[in-house]
Amino acid sequence: MQDINTLVTFSSRTGATEKLALAAALGAVQAKSNIRLRWLRENVDSQTVAGVAGWRENRNRMAREYIAPREIDFLWADVLVVGMPARDGASSPQLKIYLDALSALQAAGKLQGKVATAFTVDSALVSLCSVFDGLDLILVPPEAAAGADALESARLHGRKVTEVARDLKHA
Amino acid sequence: MIVIRKSADRGHADLGWINSYYTFSFASYYDPAHMGFRALRVINEDRIEGGRGFGAHAHRDMEILTYVLDGGLTHRDSMGQVQTFGANTIQSMSAGTGVIHSEFNASEDEAGHFLQIWIEPAIPDAEPSYQQISFEPREKRGRFRLLAAPHGSNHDGAVTINQDALVYASVLGAGETLQRKLEPGRHAWVQVARGNVSMNGEALAEGDGASVSGEQDLSFTGGPDGGEFLFFDLA
Repeated sequence: MQDINTLVTFSSRTGATEKLALAAALGAVQAKSNIRLRWLRENVDSQTVAGVAGWRENRNRMAREYIAPREIDFLWADVLVVGMPARDGASSPQLKIYLDALSALQAAGKLQGKVATAFTVDSALVSLCSVFDGLDLILVPPEAAAGADALESARLHGRKVTEVARDLKHA
Repeated sequence: MIVIRKSADRGHADLGWINSYYTFSFASYYDPAHMGFRALRVINEDRIEGGRGFGAHAHRDMEILTYVLDGGLTHRDSMGQVQTFGANTIQSMSAGTGVIHSEFNASEDEAGHFLQIWIEPAIPDAEPSYQQISFEPREKRGRFRLLAAPHGSNHDGAVTINQDALVYASVLGAGETLQRKLEPGRHAWVQVARGNVSMNGEALAEGDGASVSGEQDLSFTGGPDGGEFLFFDLA
């Protein structure tokens, strides 16, 4: 029963956060959610990109494989998952664009009942979730799964969030 | 009974970067009379511009075969596979409990020509898997080259799928003939990939398909310029 839509949005330079996003998305698929994967591209000059090993190659590849989240993606989604590199925390320009889009929808009353969660690359328990404060979203905080590495925790969390959203939808 | 599905009657979508013909209902093309045949659910003929392709997306509970006619594809998936392959290769992905993957034309400037085939699995929630097998062109010349076979059927050189289905490729020169016997109760789908082929006297052109039920003796003859076709032996 693919009755839940999950929008997984992430920022990534060399692919580490992308892997977590894919793991979370895979967990959602395993729980029979439809998914969309979206990428928040950093607005930086090519010299900055060249200064980080592997960034340019991955940036070019991700620019082909993903688009940025659109309003119709937010409206489509029952579940919003956002993933950011640990260095950015809750305060990067690309995350601000994402949150501004959500704020506009919240003001129009279009986020009610949607479930949200977040993750970063080095921790399963993060303050990043606080970014959803005041947006009418139902927060499902990530939990570190016992004995599981970050990827496995992300996958399990993707499953759990889908199941929570399904329970709420059919409550 | 043989029922022909003419190439021009297929669904069609041209998005600029991709030009697709759908033998069965797919995406925005929906025709309840053409939802598949037996376990065969999708045959899409895609022409994709250089440097373009399908971004990351998910599949669940589907056996997905890709057969390249011209050019090459680069595949990346959530199982860690990064593979580029071209013609005379069968690529198979059992989506099972879930796979996320992307596929792009391997060339930046040359268009590619691909057949994407979906077969419904006999069981849900299978373990996801990826297989890719290449072969010599002569292996399909004047004979049936097995591409895919059911799990546990012990066929070397073919990918295995979670369904009682066998998929073959065959290339026939002009006037060249090839016989095939279907076991009682089995069905077949024939899809012409290139050129022209006739089956039991029925002319089939490039892009044409045909379902076969209640027939056992099948005879194929290459058209004036020869042809290549896929043959699906289905429960």
